[in-house]
Amino acid sequence: MNILSLLIFSPLLFGLLVLVLPDSLRNLFRYITLFATLLQLVLSVWLYIHFKTGPNFAGISNEGQYQYVEKVHWIGLNLGGMGKMQIDYFVGVDGVSILMLVMSSIVMVIAALSSWEINKNHKGYFALFLLLDMAVTGVFCSLDFFLFYIFYELMLLPLYFLIGIWGGVRREYAAIKFFLFTLFGSVFMLLVMLGLYFSVKDPATGYHTFNIIQMMNPANYDKDSIFSILSHQTLLGFPARTVGFIVLFIAFAIKVPVVPLHTWLPDAHVEAPTPVSIILAGVLLKIGGYGIIRICLGIFPEVATSGAFWLGLLGVISILYGALNALAQRDLKKLIAYSSVSHMGFVLLGIASQTAEGVSGAVMQMVSHGFLSTMLFYLVGVIYNRVHNRDIYSFRGLGTLLPRYTVFVMIAFFASLGLPGFSAFIAEAFSLLGAFNSHVFNGLLPTWMAVCGSVGILLSAGYFLWTLQRMFFGETHLKGGDIWKLALTDLGKREMIALVPLALLTLALGVMPSLAFDKINDSVLALIQFMHTK
Amino acid sequence: METVLTHSDISVIQLAVTAVVLPFVAFLLNLFIVPRQSKLSGVLSGLAIGASLALSVFVFFEVWNQPALHVQQIWFTVGSTQIRLGIWLNNLSVLMLLLVSAIALPVHVYSIAYMKGDNHYTRYFAYLSLFCFAMLALVVVDNLLLLYAFWEMVGFASYLLIGFWFTREKAIQANKKAFLMNRIGDVALLTGIMLVYTHYDTFDIVTLFGDHSLATAAATATATKSVTIAGLCFLAGAVAKSAQFPLHTWLPDAMEGPTSVSALIHAATMVAAGIFLLGRVYPLFNTEVLTVIAIVGCFTAFMAATIALTQTDLKRILAYSTISQLGYMMMAMGIGAYSSALFHLATHAFFKCLLFLAAGVIIHEMQHLKRKHRLHIDAQNINNMGGLRKIMPVTFITCCVAALALIGFPLTAGCLSKDGILIQGFAWAEGKGWAYSIIPIGAVLTSLLTAFYIGRLMFKVFFGESGLEGISADSEPEAHEENPLLYLPMILLALGSLFPLFSLNPLKFESAWIVKGFADMVNKTESSGELVPFLISALSVCVVLIAYGVYVRQKLQWLKFKGVLFNMSYNQWYIDTFYNGIIVRAVVGLSRAASWFDTYVIDGIVKLIAGTGLVLSRISAWIDRYIIDGIIHSITYFVKQAGNFIRGFQTGRVQGYLFTMLIIVLALYILKTFI
Repeated sequence: MNILSLLIFSPLLFGLLVLVLPDSLRNLFRYITLFATLLQLVLSVWLYIHFKTGPNFAGISNEGQYQYVEKVHWIGLNLGGMGKMQIDYFVGVDGVSILMLVMSSIVMVIAALSSWEINKNHKGYFALFLLLDMAVTGVFCSLDFFLFYIFYELMLLPLYFLIGIWGGVRREYAAIKFFLFTLFGSVFMLLVMLGLYFSVKDPATGYHTFNIIQMMNPANYDKDSIFSILSHQTLLGFPARTVGFIVLFIAFAIKVPVVPLHTWLPDAHVEAPTPVSIILAGVLLKIGGYGIIRICLGIFPEVATSGAFWLGLLGVISILYGALNALAQRDLKKLIAYSSVSHMGFVLLGIASQTAEGVSGAVMQMVSHGFLSTMLFYLVGVIYNRVHNRDIYSFRGLGTLLPRYTVFVMIAFFASLGLPGFSAFIAEAFSLLGAFNSHVFNGLLPTWMAVCGSVGILLSAGYFLWTLQRMFFGETHLKGGDIWKLALTDLGKREMIALVPLALLTLALGVMPSLAFDKINDSVLALIQFMHTK
Repeated sequence: METVLTHSDISVIQLAVTAVVLPFVAFLLNLFIVPRQSKLSGVLSGLAIGASLALSVFVFFEVWNQPALHVQQIWFTVGSTQIRLGIWLNNLSVLMLLLVSAIALPVHVYSIAYMKGDNHYTRYFAYLSLFCFAMLALVVVDNLLLLYAFWEMVGFASYLLIGFWFTREKAIQANKKAFLMNRIGDVALLTGIMLVYTHYDTFDIVTLFGDHSLATAAATATATKSVTIAGLCFLAGAVAKSAQFPLHTWLPDAMEGPTSVSALIHAATMVAAGIFLLGRVYPLFNTEVLTVIAIVGCFTAFMAATIALTQTDLKRILAYSTISQLGYMMMAMGIGAYSSALFHLATHAFFKCLLFLAAGVIIHEMQHLKRKHRLHIDAQNINNMGGLRKIMPVTFITCCVAALALIGFPLTAGCLSKDGILIQGFAWAEGKGWAYSIIPIGAVLTSLLTAFYIGRLMFKVFFGESGLEGISADSEPEAHEENPLLYLPMILLALGSLFPLFSLNPLKFESAWIVKGFADMVNKTESSGELVPFLISALSVCVVLIAYGVYVRQKLQWLKFKGVLFNMSYNQWYIDTFYNGIIVRAVVGLSRAASWFDTYVIDGIVKLIAGTGLVLSRISAWIDRYIIDGIIHSITYFVKQAGNFIRGFQTGRVQGYLFTMLIIVLALYILKTFI
């Protein structure tokens, strides 16, 4: 079995183990889950270390340049006159996905660690958790659209139950909202996927194919097919390829989330239990960004270029709008949820710039935000677990009461607001740099967008520092009085084990960005070249 | 690199790096290893900065007036662009290296005594070392991105230290304000850096602003608009860091930090980073930007001086004085007096640091009196002080030196540097039209105001009788300044505030070694106003005498009137009131509006769609139940009723059947016959 397949399906095996074991061993389930995620981490680190770089390993639109590839015929249905249906089990990684894999497996370990708080129906929780783990890993590895779609949809099911059963007071509302929102996007994605399938033929076999990489090559399209570049077909009066791009973009934009498709996020985060919040913010949002790079840009490059202005505009709106909303929140978790919207806006802005700096910054921002949002949600979870309250105004002067906790909050806050030395600074600086450079490099984005993006950095300092001042500094004063004072104990060992590596990782990426950039440079350059040769 | 470095050059660079890194080592040790409250931490940080100073001195003499040294290596690669990190040692960086460590050492020594007994003693020194590291690194790095990184890091260290006593409400408000206002400048600086990058495709300072640099070539070329904008962005960065109008209001509030921190960070070093930045990227500025710099500097100098006239908080007066003096430097940069700006930066660091350290001792003494006599007073209010010269002679004498240097009295270092700026100011304005001469005249006016406010401060604090009732200087034999760790640094700084450190000729600023070191940056102008400094000195003395008359002799009381001008000055030109009332409120209001929009409009639309779905589903459920199901029900009803009706015929009686048959036959017969 290929190592990538092992990486994808090992959580599933452990999930089955959890299901099979009797309920009397339920205290063991969390250890099994932790072990599964750790194993996955080891595998992905191995992949990361052995990942070859160089222009011959760039990936993107070149099938031969992907690494750890496994390609097996999966479904081959004979459709008579319409030829043979060809669906492959096709996985592989390039520079963009390798980072996502490492990041998501780290986030999964932290999520597993924070699952210690789960106190009902262990079996169901951990089985669903591991199923989710498999699905997200699969999404990052799939190179066959059908496979991608299956993993993509498979994520929804466990998440729906994880929020709907183990969540807070309004959990059912949040779960349904999340589910419907995402489904809305992916249903239409299915249509475009089928349209692409009927447009593209595998040159080797002559059959239609779901192969994403072959979809990137205009030569593989049937001349008069709907998504062919040459045929200029229309759908509902609009150019078909534009419609296809927009539909796919909306599906991924819901995940990112891009304003105005973001309102599921605050609700889902507020109601989700801490580990699910961590997975949501740490990994799920990145699938949106990853999908835009891999699929929207890869399959519809010329539409992405002509629509770059609008992508950039949405990015800037997300940055500013998310930041302003974060400033107005009283609920700490909601504040962080909106800050996610703001920070993910940089991803879109960087991608829209279509410059090497911008796309690198965007990928970096996804990795960086993966670690930082994990840290932030973990920290909110710490305080919520102790007193079941998250209102900013319920706390004052926590710095005296919880010194260690405050240190980590400060690290996470300052890293998030883009203090140099932490990963977010490099990520945001290069996203913005790409946006600035775009004006000269390809003329896609006007300079004012980059300037507005910089204002987002200012606003993020505003809401984070204001929160620090209100909650952590000053004389200690708690809404719950002395009972809370007793309940609020400083970070324990398990919590330190989860937080210290995250802090070190974001610091390491900030000081040595080459850890990430070395792996993605070739892919980013190949992508930029691919975009501009169209 | 272009030239191969010799072995000794490499060792110089290594020493410079060591000088920068040592405080960082102290920071890490204090943070992770040294136990809390341990006395070791102060010694550790002090030793680290002492060693840095020694190394800096060595590096300074190796590099000063020698060809600049530059090494770099690849940091990381983005796409195909290599980002390099390295250090660039030229006159400017080694001067700053020396200055920062030379000021930091006395402050460290002072802090050991000043912070004694604080609950977070170790943490204090960790932060202080972090600051020193960031500041030293800031002045030597050769890459704009790194420069920005350390630029923010000094801001962060300053944030930590302003809010060092984090349970005090005022302190945490102040550090938030400081960081945010600096952030405004940072964003502008980042924008400037990116504009430069898009224009020249590199972050390398040497390539950009070194000899034969890209920017120098471009400044003369045609691409002026973006260069002007980039220049203004850099200026905005410097304006925030150096507390210039309109981003100056964080500095007075920053005085909530420990006084030793105010001395090092908010008077001598960090706030001067803005001036340093201007110096570093000087070739970028064209004439328009330079004029803007001069105007901003001159206005700030004047405004801050007028505010300092009426403040009553000892540290606030000094803070506004710092803003005013930084304005001087800014103005000097703007008028092309590059060397004088840096010269004033160096001299100002000494005497302003000294004034703050003295203020720390004075405030300690006042707090001591407050505790002893159980008074409810503000220990920093100068109205409560008075007559302190008798119990604190060392403080008094050193303060006198610093005050004279601030006024620019002959034989002090301040005289040399200030004269340089004023003379060059007049030379600059000459032949440019009357509007330009506002700037040197404003500078002269500011210089007189300076003499008055510092005179007022000195007389109120050290002369006359104590402002506290029932306490006279004679009854307080014990003074707090016995500790040599407190007064030795002050004496050292006082010596540094005199002329010999900077020039052997106390009257001619051109002979100062700093001015000579930057001679090639100056547009040579024959100084015409040799008389100007003497006139100003004489006028300053008069102003000080007036202050003496007002505050010691209690004459000329009409000068203490409280009119519109007084209120304007006392309320700091209402700038902060404006910021809090308008800008902060506007941002908070905007965020509330965004939140409202999010909840009711965007989520409202989502809910509307969901609601529409629900309503549609209800309607279809109704249709399903009452129409479709209704039709089916009615069909079955009809069938049932028909069956019931027909069932009535099945009676089982033969007569009935025969009768029915008869009727049917009859009916058929009738139908057949008649129709």
